[in-house]
Amino acid sequence: METSPRNNKKQSIHKNPWFLGTLVCIFVISVLVNIPVEKRKYGLTQSSLTTDYTSLLPERIDRIVKAGSRTELQKIVKEANENRQQISIAGLQHSQGGHTYYKDSIVLDMKTFNKILKIDKQHKTIKVETGATWEDVQEAIQPYGLALKVTQSQSIFTIGGSLSVNAHGRDITFGPMAGTVREMTILTPTGDIKTVTRNDSEEWMKYVFGGYGLFGVILDVTLELTENDVYTIHTEELKTNEYEAYFSNLLRNDGTSMHYARVSVAPHSFLNEMYVIDYKNTGKKDHQTELKKERGARFGKLALDIGRQGGALEDLFWENQKLLIKSLDGDEITRNNAMRGNSAFMEFTKPGRVEVLQEFFVPVAQFEEYISDLRRFLPSNDKNEDFKIHNITVRYAAKDDYTYLNYAKGDMFGLVILIQHGLKEKEIDHAKAIIQGWTDLTLKHGGGYYLPYYQYQTIEQFRKIYPSWEMFHEEKIKRDPNGVFQNIFYDYYFE
Amino acid sequence: MKILSERYVPLVVTVGQVVIFPYYILWLKEASLTFTLFTWLFAAFSFSAALGYRLFQARKKPAISFIPFLYMGMGGIYLLVGNISTSFEVLPYLTLIFQVILGFLQGYHHAWHIMQNTFRLHAINHYLLVGMIMVGLSFVKIISPAIFITVFGTILFICGLVFLFKKNKDSVIFKLGDNEETEVE
Ligand SMILES: Cc1cc2nc3c(=O)[nH]c(=O)nc-3n(C[C@H](O)[C@H](O)[C@H](O)COP(=O)(O)OP(=O)(O)OC[C@H]3O[C@@H](n4cnc5c(N)ncnc54)[C@H](O)[C@@H]3O)c2cc1C
Repeated sequence: METSPRNNKKQSIHKNPWFLGTLVCIFVISVLVNIPVEKRKYGLTQSSLTTDYTSLLPERIDRIVKAGSRTELQKIVKEANENRQQISIAGLQHSQGGHTYYKDSIVLDMKTFNKILKIDKQHKTIKVETGATWEDVQEAIQPYGLALKVTQSQSIFTIGGSLSVNAHGRDITFGPMAGTVREMTILTPTGDIKTVTRNDSEEWMKYVFGGYGLFGVILDVTLELTENDVYTIHTEELKTNEYEAYFSNLLRNDGTSMHYARVSVAPHSFLNEMYVIDYKNTGKKDHQTELKKERGARFGKLALDIGRQGGALEDLFWENQKLLIKSLDGDEITRNNAMRGNSAFMEFTKPGRVEVLQEFFVPVAQFEEYISDLRRFLPSNDKNEDFKIHNITVRYAAKDDYTYLNYAKGDMFGLVILIQHGLKEKEIDHAKAIIQGWTDLTLKHGGGYYLPYYQYQTIEQFRKIYPSWEMFHEEKIKRDPNGVFQNIFYDYYFE
Repeated sequence: MKILSERYVPLVVTVGQVVIFPYYILWLKEASLTFTLFTWLFAAFSFSAALGYRLFQARKKPAISFIPFLYMGMGGIYLLVGNISTSFEVLPYLTLIFQVILGFLQGYHHAWHIMQNTFRLHAINHYLLVGMIMVGLSFVKIISPAIFITVFGTILFICGLVFLFKKNKDSVIFKLGDNEETEVE
């Protein structure tokens, strides 16, 4: 067959070594940047052991029930009462201390119970089933120009899971999350379905919110919403001893709606430097801006991985973080997007090691003294230590009068600590000893710790920090006489 | 001896590559976190093989001088694959590099091999041998890919050494471009 010279030329382009070399290079680079971040493997399973986010407490469960209809859930609870079976409730299982399962229990997987039931634009409320995530809610309300009042820093959690720990995040104006619920439908431990409000004489909300799935299943809630305001991001570098004054000033001038801060854990500026991020009101509302998706997780993770090496590399990581944060100064962001912090970059899957969270609360007025005590307590360079601290984020948690087992007895700063340690018995014991010491130090300053995480603390520490535990326990026995709702967390602290 | 090495080593290599393929795939599946990445790793191999093939055709130095190193390179990669114990975090990156190198070497080798007189002779033997070995392997109950991949890596490495040794010995009598086609484009 004859070919024209033109055809010949066309044919030869794809055989040109330069073309092929460039193709390989471009392809390899695109694969490199798109290699997904490895996700930790955890979750509900019947065939092997069930775990939660940290996989620290593997346990065999009886079965998993994917939540379908209310009547089906009611039947399971009633049968469990009759047959003396135990039930645990699971959302997205980001809690880290066996809060969502128990040995031989039936686990209700709430993720499938996630319908948006009603959006009331006029009264700014949404009624939603509690297996829905904040992300689901944001997608539903964003077109109406509405936003949530209180969420965690990320939107990856279920509503049921978040209310059951009474979570907090970057908002500094609306108080505790529990306070944003207008109405709730609950499936009680004895199998009744009740719809209650904040004025309910039996005070169900006070036990169920921050009740860690021990007082029945929250079926749906009506949440108060606010406008999807547009904010300007303001960032600033501070010394830790300037923070208290800075924050009090921020609260006094009500131009800021959301805020968080990060404290250095790098050796050269350890607990000395910090930066703050404020979301300042612009007066503008938004109806159109798309909800942001997580981008650049691979690079975020790479940067964090560098920080994880400790020593000089952690200093480098901190300097880069400061630069990155500085670059955000002056940007505009919607409220919905400010509530959608990234999370995939935090994934960590090194065999034999684990990364966990702990959160300590300290009264606002104690911050400076607390940090200087902490500086003496912790080594500034943990490069060669087994117990490593990779990040400290600070958020504000307003006084909580809405729940009984409350962590914010006054206005507090919550210091979220990202910790890494080994999984050998000796290493876990070492981590326990440090965290218990840290808890004592926090207690000395009138503070406490957050309960959704792994139980490093002792029962005595828990009782001191949560003096209402006794009343909580009595009420649990009264409202759940057959002990149907059970989990590892309850077993550890109360039984 | 020269005849033997030149005749049989490429056969060992091509048969071995097909036989090891299922085990290599098992390993690759483990190393790639998602199906998309799995397919991309294959694509990287293919593009790189095309480059290897083309560079063979465009070479200036006598091809045979590269062949022993090519076997040793392939063997080295398989040995690394069989013995690697790195965290899952870096594995996909390493795998991508392995795929690019293996693809390149395989493309280069294939371009050289098809120009050998022995290539047509090999074809039937190749298919028959692969079939028989595969049936044989179905009775072997060890399914750890690492063991097979390591063994194959070692064989390739030895093949490279044999070839290198022979090439040096015979370099005086080896006539360049004996069996090579001239490029037609
Ligand atoms: C990476 C990360 C970041 C985090 N950031 C924050 C933060 O910024 N602020 C904060 O406050 N917390 C934070 N947390 C903690 C988090 O808010 C809690 O772990 C929360 O419970 C997670 O929601 P979930 O859907 O995963 O709940 P799960 O872990 O599945 O459940 C938590 C508890 O809620 C109960 N529960 C779940 N659904 C229901 C229901 N429908 N009815 C009754 N009980 C139910 C469970 O039994 C369990 O006791 C973070 C955790 C992680 C891992």
